[in-house]
Amino acid sequence: MARLRAIPSWQITLGVALLALGFLIAAQLASEGPRVRYTTQERTPLVETANELQSQQDELKNTILQLRAQIQAVEGQGPGSADLVRQLNAELQDARIAAGLIALTGPGIVLQLEDSKAPVPPDGNQSDYLVGSRDIRTVVEQLWGAGAEAIAVNGERITPTSAIIDVGSSLLVNSAYLTPPYQVTALGPPALYDELGASPGFVDFVRARSEGYGIRVSLAEPDSVDMPAFVGTMTLRYSRPLASPSAGPSTAPSGTPGG
Amino acid sequence: MHRRSSQLTIAAVAAILGVLVVIQLRSQAGPTGLAQLSSQDLTVLVANLNARNDQLRRETSLLQAELTTLQTNRSRGDASVDEITADLHRVRAYAGLDPVGGPGVAISIRGAIDGAGVEVLINELRNAGAEAISVGGVRVVTGVVITGAPGTSKVDGVALGVAFDLDAIGAPDKLTGSLTRSGGVIAQLAATQPDVEVTVTPMDRLELPATTRSLVPAHGRPRL
Repeated sequence: MARLRAIPSWQITLGVALLALGFLIAAQLASEGPRVRYTTQERTPLVETANELQSQQDELKNTILQLRAQIQAVEGQGPGSADLVRQLNAELQDARIAAGLIALTGPGIVLQLEDSKAPVPPDGNQSDYLVGSRDIRTVVEQLWGAGAEAIAVNGERITPTSAIIDVGSSLLVNSAYLTPPYQVTALGPPALYDELGASPGFVDFVRARSEGYGIRVSLAEPDSVDMPAFVGTMTLRYSRPLASPSAGPSTAPSGTPGG
Repeated sequence: MHRRSSQLTIAAVAAILGVLVVIQLRSQAGPTGLAQLSSQDLTVLVANLNARNDQLRRETSLLQAELTTLQTNRSRGDASVDEITADLHRVRAYAGLDPVGGPGVAISIRGAIDGAGVEVLINELRNAGAEAISVGGVRVVTGVVITGAPGTSKVDGVALGVAFDLDAIGAPDKLTGSLTRSGGVIAQLAATQPDVEVTVTPMDRLELPATTRSLVPAHGRPRL
């Protein structure tokens, strides 16, 4: 008892500080969490380069959107030979919509996919518990199958040339870097929600990934969804259009959508 | 003496404590998620960002030139029919509304492959820069998916059977290299579907048909 009282106050202070240190180390280790972090020195310039390239990309995208709007405006006010120009512009507008170059709004659904919060068992594979490119591709394919007319993942419009690939535990879509949670927005007929829910492929996917590994899949049906335009190049470097005997299926001079 | 060393110990502990608090706060602040990527992944990311930015730069100068021509024509009272027609062809070819020709690869698939296997090949082709793709003579545009169990895969509802071709236009060497590299998609396919034989042939010229789909959404309106 006498000894206990004899503990100097600095020892108590030190004890408390060491206790706090222990907690912080534990918190630090815990926050390293499932997604591994690396801290080697050669990474720093790479991270800086990547950040810089991403902000360049944002600027370029803005420039392209502005230029497109200006071009559309000028094309739309062609003077003189009005009928031909008007028809060409109507066809061009349809082609642009078909190619995903025009932002749309309409009925649709939003699917959100998030990494699992379930603990990975000792014999489990870490990557099974994260949302990967295969998951997103499956969801996109299932949505097309259910009748979706336009799809975007975290703001990147899916086009005929869009690849969806893994980079670490994140994704590249149209070569844009996307991180979870992933929101897959689909525009389509009002029956889209029911069609998707009735698709055996989608049901199997949810069962395998959600029930099997705790991947969190949620579905929302807002009043309307906003579909971003594809901002990228559609310049073909290897393909040349072939002279087609018919004008093609979609160029009937129908009433243009208001825009 | 005793007092001094104890003060030093506390100072040292406090310093470590401070550093740890800062590290902890910083590690939770990274919004881009780049911190969780390895050097190798970062290299892939930087290469992809560079490629995309180069494309965007080319597109910017192309659009800038187009705008200048259109504005010049307008100031002259010219209707720019040629420019609008060129633009129309470019966009229709990209979307798959017109047939296209060019170099690329012909991929012969023999055996009972499933729809997902064909989709994996298509995704890899797109990643390697394929500009236009067709499966069993059907142009793969937005909305077209290949589905079905091994041997019963279908494109747009049409059965592909156990012998069909997958054609892609793009740089033949790049497309071939990306598909056939060790550990690549064809190697993975061989491991999971060993009965399927996939042969890639570089081609000087291929012709791909137009889609029969309209591709104009019936349910969306342009957002202004």
